[in-house]
Amino acid sequence: MNTENQGFSNLPARPPPSSSSPFASAPPPGVPPQSGGPEAVGFRPPVRPFTPSGPPMAPPVGVMRPGQQPPFVSQIPGQGIRPPPPSSNSFPSPAYGPPGGGSFQRFPTPPPPSGPPQTQTLAGHLSPPMSFRPQQPMAPVTMRPPPQSMTSGVSGGFASPPGPGFQQSMPPVNPSYPGVGGGPQPSYPGYPTNQGLQGPPKAFQPPSQGPPSTVSSYPTQPGGFAQQNLHPSYAPPTSNVQGLVEDFNSLSLSNIPGSLEPGLDHTSFPRPLDGDVEPSSFAEAYPMNCHSRYLRLTTSAIPNSQSLASRWHLPLGAVVCPLAEAPEGEEVPLIDFGACGIIRCRRCRTYVNPYVTFTDSGRKWRCNICSMLNDVPGEYFSHLDATGRRMDMDQRPELTKGSVEIIAPTEYMVRPPMPPIYFFLIDVSFSATKSGMLEVATQTIKSCLDNLPGYPRTQIGFITYDSTLHFYNMKSSLSQPQMMVVSDLDDIFVPLPDDLLVNLSESRNVVEAFLDSLPLMFQDNGNVESAFGPALKAAYMVMNQLGGKLLIFQNSLPSLGVGRLKLRGDDPRVYGTDKEYTLRVAEDTFYKQMAADCTKFQIGINVYAFSDKYTDIASLGTLAKYTGGQVYYYPGFQSSIHGEKLRHELTRDLTRETAWESVMRIRCGKGIRFSTYHGNFMLRSTDLIALPAVDCDKAYAMQLTLEETLLTTPTVYFQVALLYTASCGERRIRVHTAVAPVVTDLGEMYRQADTGSIVSVYSRLAIEKTLSSKLDDARNVIQQKIVKALREYRNLHAVQHRLGSRLIYPESLKLLSLYGLAICKSTPLQGGPADASLDERCAAGFTMMALPVKKLLKLLYPSLFRVDEWLLKPSADLGDLKDVIRRLPLAAESLDSRGLYIYDDGFRLVLWFGRMLSPDIAKNLLGADFAAELSRVTLEEQENGMSKKLMRLIKKVRENDPSYHPMCFLVRQGEQPREGFLLLRHLIEDQMGGSTSYVDWILQLHRQIQQNA
Amino acid sequence: MAWDLFLWILSFFVSLALVASVFYQVICLTDLEADYLNPFETSSRINRLILPEFILQGSICILFLLTWHWVFFLVALPVTCYHAMLYKERRHLIDVTEVFRGISFEKKLRFTKLGFYIVLFIMVVFRLTLSAVYSFTEDDDLLHLF
Repeated sequence: MNTENQGFSNLPARPPPSSSSPFASAPPPGVPPQSGGPEAVGFRPPVRPFTPSGPPMAPPVGVMRPGQQPPFVSQIPGQGIRPPPPSSNSFPSPAYGPPGGGSFQRFPTPPPPSGPPQTQTLAGHLSPPMSFRPQQPMAPVTMRPPPQSMTSGVSGGFASPPGPGFQQSMPPVNPSYPGVGGGPQPSYPGYPTNQGLQGPPKAFQPPSQGPPSTVSSYPTQPGGFAQQNLHPSYAPPTSNVQGLVEDFNSLSLSNIPGSLEPGLDHTSFPRPLDGDVEPSSFAEAYPMNCHSRYLRLTTSAIPNSQSLASRWHLPLGAVVCPLAEAPEGEEVPLIDFGACGIIRCRRCRTYVNPYVTFTDSGRKWRCNICSMLNDVPGEYFSHLDATGRRMDMDQRPELTKGSVEIIAPTEYMVRPPMPPIYFFLIDVSFSATKSGMLEVATQTIKSCLDNLPGYPRTQIGFITYDSTLHFYNMKSSLSQPQMMVVSDLDDIFVPLPDDLLVNLSESRNVVEAFLDSLPLMFQDNGNVESAFGPALKAAYMVMNQLGGKLLIFQNSLPSLGVGRLKLRGDDPRVYGTDKEYTLRVAEDTFYKQMAADCTKFQIGINVYAFSDKYTDIASLGTLAKYTGGQVYYYPGFQSSIHGEKLRHELTRDLTRETAWESVMRIRCGKGIRFSTYHGNFMLRSTDLIALPAVDCDKAYAMQLTLEETLLTTPTVYFQVALLYTASCGERRIRVHTAVAPVVTDLGEMYRQADTGSIVSVYSRLAIEKTLSSKLDDARNVIQQKIVKALREYRNLHAVQHRLGSRLIYPESLKLLSLYGLAICKSTPLQGGPADASLDERCAAGFTMMALPVKKLLKLLYPSLFRVDEWLLKPSADLGDLKDVIRRLPLAAESLDSRGLYIYDDGFRLVLWFGRMLSPDIAKNLLGADFAAELSRVTLEEQENGMSKKLMRLIKKVRENDPSYHPMCFLVRQGEQPREGFLLLRHLIEDQMGGSTSYVDWILQLHRQIQQNA
Repeated sequence: MAWDLFLWILSFFVSLALVASVFYQVICLTDLEADYLNPFETSSRINRLILPEFILQGSICILFLLTWHWVFFLVALPVTCYHAMLYKERRHLIDVTEVFRGISFEKKLRFTKLGFYIVLFIMVVFRLTLSAVYSFTEDDDLLHLF
């Protein structure tokens, strides 16, 4: 939407075509007075929530006679309940995204000259031939005598005053019709006559006269159909016709690549300045699907054949975040099936969900995934009403909601549910105490003791290590913890294996005494060695009875015992060679083996790394990767600077709701299969994800393959099931169910695509690629994938449109290319060895592999907004964050040297002080040292309104997303190299060093798309 | 002559062992795919066998070279080279964490190896019988054989 508005706002400024052009009859620029952006958007073709396949079904019939149409039956409830006149519902909404026109066409017929817009769309839908013979999309349109087409051929159709809707929807285009239509295209020798006006006239404008650059969307053109009526012989295939209905976006790149000065107006390029906009039509069409925060498909239209899937070059899959945080009031309902046991399909083990159908007067139910007929247990039986609905439908959330949580009986346990267990493995060597890490960590742990989930069953334990291992006996009968030192690193044994892991509520005093004394005990520790590997083994030996969460605080490179690591990566000759990737994977198989063993015994590992020197995050992170954990990296930790961040993130890690000893499986309908999985976890079997500890901040991506050449069902169902132990000791199953239609048409797949999800899968693929090849290759892979996808899309449409100098893309994927660029410029993939340290790269890679979609998109395209004006406004209160944050394009030219800007990527906040920012503001915000070098200044609340206001804003930004604590950095314009390092390098639209700018990137893509197009 | 027979008997058992080992690995992998085995067990079972297999295969290859059996040496050589390469790149063991990612390749690799070993085995059996026949019949009788 945004881009269109921008595009339209450009239009009035467009120079009128010169008189020597074929557009001699083009109107003066002032002619389209109605050309306001909103109307233009508002008059999109009528939209109807997406229906899965051709024939619209008569819903109630299906329910009452379920035996006859098994595949259809299961979806009836969703559709039957849904109010049928969606077109009128959704019509006014400009946010409706791509138009309908599903796999059967809903052409708006040429509008009656004076009809109001609503009626014309309804007429278009309800015209008899349409609804009776939906399988022949062309027929109704061609049969229907549109008034224009009969009048005088081409020109007549357009010269006649079109309906108001028409006029408004295409104001800038409309006046040029006579010019084109008047003569039978004499001035376009190369243009096939019979294609006539199928292409929007805008596309005809020769590059030299066209608008310098516009992002325009092509709404449906009734004229196109009118034109086709004149050429019955020219019957384009369905997909081509579809292209006409479709409104796709395009980006004019009319200038010769290379000389972009006057031509490319990059301000009109699409940008995600509104954040992540999820496709809403899909959720509206299937209200019983689980919310998109839990499951996001890369496209909500599943291809029906392998050949179609192979033409869809984008990933086909989903991003699942099974425990995503639900806002107040939308919590997942908890269900206890009690005596009758959990209702599942006998064959495919699907859980009962809103899409199953009950038949045989309620005695049987049909599984929606494998269409197996199952018995309804007696306790679960309910009569059906006249429409085939269960009478008790409203009391059964599992039959009405896409996401439910089921209490699992003992059959789902291999052992009694484990208590929440937190085990800490803390480095107490010289650097850990000196940096203050030890103090901050112990304080934080102590402050969290009350909030650890699962009271009173929670267990806790500690091991510290430097060159030796220190175990702590914290038996509740002791008043002080006992420390035991083991110095034999080759043959580790665990003294007192029973008292190292203690119940927190029983040993609370001992634990507190221990946490108080720990920093003091080691404050003079001069030991610089780190026996990390043996310590890890010892922790594993303590924990492997029960499992739990292992938090590792590591301050230096592991240097002793098994798993010791070498200083690698300081040999510049390795970079750029084929061996480069080895630096990004674990060096020692010990780590992989350890990770696998931990997963096996339900131990999830989170790694906190603090060193300012090389710590080999690549190896340490492996532990987190395969145990479903995450990596927190604080390079050069200083408690005065990073203390707050560590405190918040550790608190979050310890107190957020965690699912223990869990496994996740995603089931889907016959004929398709999830084949690859991407994220931080380990596969227990081909489709079972083992997650020793999982929480709301973790998402997993997966890709589908079609196993059968042809899918015959009209819809495909997906069911994510996460079996876990809640902190309270209950075994639960969280089930998310979703349905997606099967389509036969590539255009529909593009229309239903979800950029956020696609980008999420791509970034994971790219990061995985960096583990087996060069960074360059990984970036190329992403670029090639995008090129292929857009090329395919172009091929879909090139028939009707002369698109020589245009990059065309579907509305749903308008941000794909920008995010592609952002992936290539993200920390794990950016530039060469000098651009980011190896550890930073790896840490960012591990983090990005786990991020949910929204956070990932924010990290890829962070928000940049100006705050000095808002700060100066006297009255403005911080009501809604959205009022303050007006996101700007991430380019240096967005920065005004008189302003104060905040850059926020969810992990860091950078406050950028312009060189000419009024000293008052700086003084107010920074206090006395406003003139000092900002690297030494920390932002603290000053005693004045402005500073308080800013701190409130920052607090609000942080609260907005509590999963990470963005640290504040201050930088002044021109303060090199900090400015470049903190901000300028992350302005991804700019050219920095060897990287490409947004404009160049688009040009590159465009050039490659046109090759072999 | 006795030495020759001894060589072939030895290689008979070695190649039999190789075939059995690879066959067992293939079975483990298919079991893993069918979810009869978990990745931890599969990889430990397979990894236990890999180095002995490499050593056995390498030694029989060298044995053929030393005993100057060119044809056998050349048949065994490609596999030996491939094993050496894998070992040098430290890719010879199954990575328990990423088993499923490489499972199709690993299976294909093992099927190919199985083919190689079976060919070798058949050749060895042929030579073994030949050599057995040699040693149990008189030299002059041999002429009648051909």
